[in-house]
Amino acid sequence: MRVVIAEDNVLLSSGLELLLGTKGCEVVAVATDADAFLAAVDAHRPDVTIVDVRLPPGFRDEGIRAAIEARRRHPDLPVLVLSQYVEQAYATRLLAAAPRGVGYLLKDRVSRVDEFVDALTRVARGGTALDPEVVAQLLTRADPVATLTPREREVLALMAEGHDNDTIAARLVVTGNAVHKHIGNIFTKLGLSPDDGGHRRVRAVLAYLDGQR
Amino acid sequence: MYLVACVVAFPLRRRWAAAHLRRAAALRGVDPPPPTARLDRYLRWLAAHVAIGVPAGLLALFCLGNALVAAVGAPLWRVFPADDPLRLLLDVPVTGWGRALALGVAQLAILAAVAAGVFPVLAALHARVTLAALAPSAAELLAERVAELTRTRADVLDAHGAELRRIERDLHDGTQARLVAIAMRLAVARQALPAAPPEVADLLRQAHEGTEEAMTELRQVIRTIYPPILADQGLAGALRAVAARGGVPADLDVGDLGRVPAAVEAVAYFAVTEALTNVAKHSRASRATVRVRRAGERLLVEVRDDGDGGAREDGGTGLAGIRGRAEALDGRLTVTSPPGGPTLVEVELPCGS
Repeated sequence: MRVVIAEDNVLLSSGLELLLGTKGCEVVAVATDADAFLAAVDAHRPDVTIVDVRLPPGFRDEGIRAAIEARRRHPDLPVLVLSQYVEQAYATRLLAAAPRGVGYLLKDRVSRVDEFVDALTRVARGGTALDPEVVAQLLTRADPVATLTPREREVLALMAEGHDNDTIAARLVVTGNAVHKHIGNIFTKLGLSPDDGGHRRVRAVLAYLDGQR
Repeated sequence: MYLVACVVAFPLRRRWAAAHLRRAAALRGVDPPPPTARLDRYLRWLAAHVAIGVPAGLLALFCLGNALVAAVGAPLWRVFPADDPLRLLLDVPVTGWGRALALGVAQLAILAAVAAGVFPVLAALHARVTLAALAPSAAELLAERVAELTRTRADVLDAHGAELRRIERDLHDGTQARLVAIAMRLAVARQALPAAPPEVADLLRQAHEGTEEAMTELRQVIRTIYPPILADQGLAGALRAVAARGGVPADLDVGDLGRVPAAVEAVAYFAVTEALTNVAKHSRASRATVRVRRAGERLLVEVRDDGDGGAREDGGTGLAGIRGRAEALDGRLTVTSPPGGPTLVEVELPCGS
C-alpha cells in the first residue's frame, strides 16, 4: 500500500514510517500541514492517507478539514484520521459526506501494530474503522440502543468499528450464523429495512451518529 | 479674586487638588491619598478653601505688611512730616529715636509671636479640611478596591485560561506524542523479536503495556485539566458535541456570547456535561434543553429537562462539583428540582471584563 501521511510531529511520522515499513507499506510522502498534504495527495494518488487532526498553523481541526477537502477533490480517497482525543463530532463530520473509506482512531491505537494495519487496510478497501471509544460514546445513548440486548450491543460495537461478520464471530467466540442473526435483529430494532440496499451496516452506525436529529 | 482663581483653576482641579492634598498630607505627616474623583467633593472643598484660605491669607498679608512698616518705617521715622508722624503699634505716634526703636522692635516681636502662634494652627486646620474634603471616603476606597479586584480577577482568569490551554497543548503535542512514539517503537521491537528469550519478551510486553496505560491515563488527566474539544472548537462547538452525544436528546441554544475567558468556558462546558449526564442517568427525561447566553458581564447557562425532578446536591450527582467550580470563579449555581419535576439547573458565571 502506498501511504501519504499528514503529521507535523517528526517523532510520530518517523515512527509511523518505521511501523508501516515493517508491514510492507510504502510511505510516499509526509506532509507537515494541510496544503502540503493536499499537494502530496494530488501528486502521489496514494492508496490510503493518514491524517493528524491537529496540524499547523492553528493546531485545532485542520486535519479534519484537510481530510474532507481531499475527499471532495478525490471522492474515493481513503482517509484514516488520527486524533489525540476522541470526539464523536469529528467522526460524524468525516462520515457525513461519504461513509466509505473513512477511519477515525485515537493516536494510541497505532501501538497495536496488527490491529492498526488491519484498520488501515479496511479503510484502504473502502471500509470504515471507528475507534472503540467513539463507539462507546455512541452506545451510551438512551434511544433505540436501549432496546438492544447486551450481545446485540457488542455486535453493533464491533460492526461500528468496521469489522466484518467473520471477525465479529471470532471476537465474540460465536458462530457466523449467530452473528448474522444478531445483525438482523439490530437492523429490525433500528428500523433499517432489507431493501435499503448494500450499506445497511454503515447505515446502522450512521443511525447512531445522526440519531439525535 | 480667590473665586476668579478657583474658576480659572477649574479645568486643572485634579492637579490643583492633588498639589493641595500633597501639601496637606506632608503638613499632617500622613501619606498623600489619591484625590477623589467626585465633582461635588471638589466644589465643597473649594468653598472650604475660600472660607479658611481668605481670612488666613488676609491675616498673613496684615502681619507681613505691618512687619515691613516696622522694619522699614522705624529707621526712617524722621522722613514723616511732624504733623502726621509714623504710627506704630496701631496708633502710637513716633516722635523720637527712643520710641522708634522700642515701638519698631515691639511691633516686630508681636507680629512674630502672632505668626508663630496662629499660622500653624490655621495651616493645620486648612490641611485637615483639605484632607477631609478631597481624600476618598471609606466607601469610595472600597468601591475602588472592588473595581480593581474585578479588573485583576479578569486578568487572572484570562492568564489562567491561557495557561490551561498551553498545558493541554504541551501534554497532547509533547508528552503524549512522545509516549505514542515510544509505544510504536516498542511494538515494532516486539514484532521484530518473536523468538526473544522469555525474560526479554516479558520486559518488552510490560514496557509496551505500561506505555499504553500511561497514554490512557494522560488522556484522562488532560480531559480534567482543559477539555481539548474546547481548545479546538470553542465553547459553542464543544457544547454542540456534548449535546449530540448525550444520552437524552438535547436542544442547544447558544446566543452571542462575546469574549469569554477560557477558564469560564471550561466551567460552563463542565457544568453542561455534568448536568446532561445527570439527566441521562437519573431524570428519566425524554428531552433536555441547553441554553447559554450572555447577560452583560455574566454568562448564563441553563440545562432544563422534562424528567422526574428531585435532584439533590448530596446524592453524588455531580451538582456539588458544578457548584465548587462555579463558586471558584465567583459564580452561582441554582438547582430547581421539585419532586415530580421538571429540573432546571442554572449556572451564572462572571466574565469580568
